[in-house]
Amino acid sequence: MTDVTVKLAVDRLTKKFGSLEVLQSISAEIGRGEFVSIVGPSGCGKTTFLRIVGGLEKANSGEVRLDGRVLTGPGSDRGFVFQQDNLLPWRTVLANTEIGPEIGGYRNADQRKKTMQLLKLVGLSGFENYYPRQLSGGMRQRVNLARALAVDPDLLLMDEPFSALDAQTREIMQTELLRIWEEGRKTVLFVTHQIDEAVYLSDRVFVFARRPGRINEIVEIDLPRPRPLSMKRTPEFVAYVDHIWKLIEDDVRASVLEEHA
Amino acid sequence: MADTALTEAQTQPGFGASLTSGLRAHAWGLGSVFGGLLLWEFISRVIVGNKLFLAAPSQVVVAFIELTRSGELSKHIYISGLEFLLGYGIACILGILLGLAMAQSKAAKQALQPWVSGLYATPTVALAPLFILWFGIGIMSKVVVVAVLVIFPVVINTEAGLRTTSPQLIETVRSFGANARQIFFKVALPSALPFIFAGLKLGIGRGLIGVVVAELFGSRAGLGQLISQSAETFNMPALFAGVTILAAAGIAMTSGFGWLERKLLPWRE
Repeated sequence: MTDVTVKLAVDRLTKKFGSLEVLQSISAEIGRGEFVSIVGPSGCGKTTFLRIVGGLEKANSGEVRLDGRVLTGPGSDRGFVFQQDNLLPWRTVLANTEIGPEIGGYRNADQRKKTMQLLKLVGLSGFENYYPRQLSGGMRQRVNLARALAVDPDLLLMDEPFSALDAQTREIMQTELLRIWEEGRKTVLFVTHQIDEAVYLSDRVFVFARRPGRINEIVEIDLPRPRPLSMKRTPEFVAYVDHIWKLIEDDVRASVLEEHA
Repeated sequence: MADTALTEAQTQPGFGASLTSGLRAHAWGLGSVFGGLLLWEFISRVIVGNKLFLAAPSQVVVAFIELTRSGELSKHIYISGLEFLLGYGIACILGILLGLAMAQSKAAKQALQPWVSGLYATPTVALAPLFILWFGIGIMSKVVVVAVLVIFPVVINTEAGLRTTSPQLIETVRSFGANARQIFFKVALPSALPFIFAGLKLGIGRGLIGVVVAELFGSRAGLGQLISQSAETFNMPALFAGVTILAAAGIAMTSGFGWLERKLLPWRE
């Protein structure tokens, strides 16, 4: 594909753990500024897929291209937002946020200004000198997000970042994420197991199937932006959620039975 | 109670007020120490009544003043202090380096582990006479005894601290492209610091024991020598003066370490 708007291209990606095929020849393209979510039952390889794109794991075959370049390992062209916030407990909010630029060797006064703006964007102005233990779970996830944004990545990779939060905080964080995303329109790849979260946030949802992990269907979410939380109660929204749920229901049942076996 | 102390300190600022509130906050601790000293004084004067068996606190204070005047005490403190600091310093540097080596290299870990485990469990203080035989009656033998006693908790804690570094935190900095050196300095070492500190703190008590016991076995000066000589001449007040100084040194260094820890590791609870 020579289309200039393709940001991320995944080509016949395959991953095996021993004899188990976790990902089977996955191919997909994600456009510049697009918000794509991946949903699927546990064991469908969605997190493994994200980790391979992030360079934290190697695929057995196939390749991942970002702006046409083949990716071979981790790098600051991607910002990874982890499921657990993974903040360094001995660093303040500011120092945690700046770890990427620090590792890249470009931490300076200019960068500091950007970091301060970023902390303002995620709603943490005034908390620069707090230590992680002094923050709530929601605030820690904001730092987690700011840290990934601080390297000004081409691609934002998010691995179930709100799964550890309570239901209300989670909804607020979803709206916050959309607000922040509207500001910079980064390309986002967002893994979640919550279908309504995927529908609410995304332009497209990749629905994964398991054994072997593969893309079952790509669902285009044709809902206007900006999206208020009340949109979650509209018939259109519910129809999307129902559709995706039907796609994965059998797989989820199978995986639940397996876990209890 | 803390509330009333706070409001008083606010309404009547100044040294007097802060002293009163400080006393009030530590009322039980101070009362216990003061009561204990009174009881001790009473028992030794009224019940025992013999300075050869038990010296009263007041007699210890007199001995303390006399020893200070004659310059004898400062000599003993200087010698013991020097022995402790040299032995402790050597043990800290070597211990941290060995701990780092064991955490970084499998070969070093395998080669050192049996020695560390074996010697940590051995009451090495019992080897003090041997060290005096080897290194003489001067400060050298005491420095070695202190170093041998202090080094093991430092090695073990340094190694354990580095080994228990969270793999998630390592992966996080790796996702930003960190190399091995950056992972070590930005994640492994800071996360091991509280463990290393705990090892250094354990070493204080062991080091003080090492100084005194080594001096008991043979020395020309030092607090251990003061204590053994006082015991031989039934000079109980001087003996207690020596013991009191050692206890005070232990308490001072441990709380000094606590203070340093809060300064250097402010991120901990």
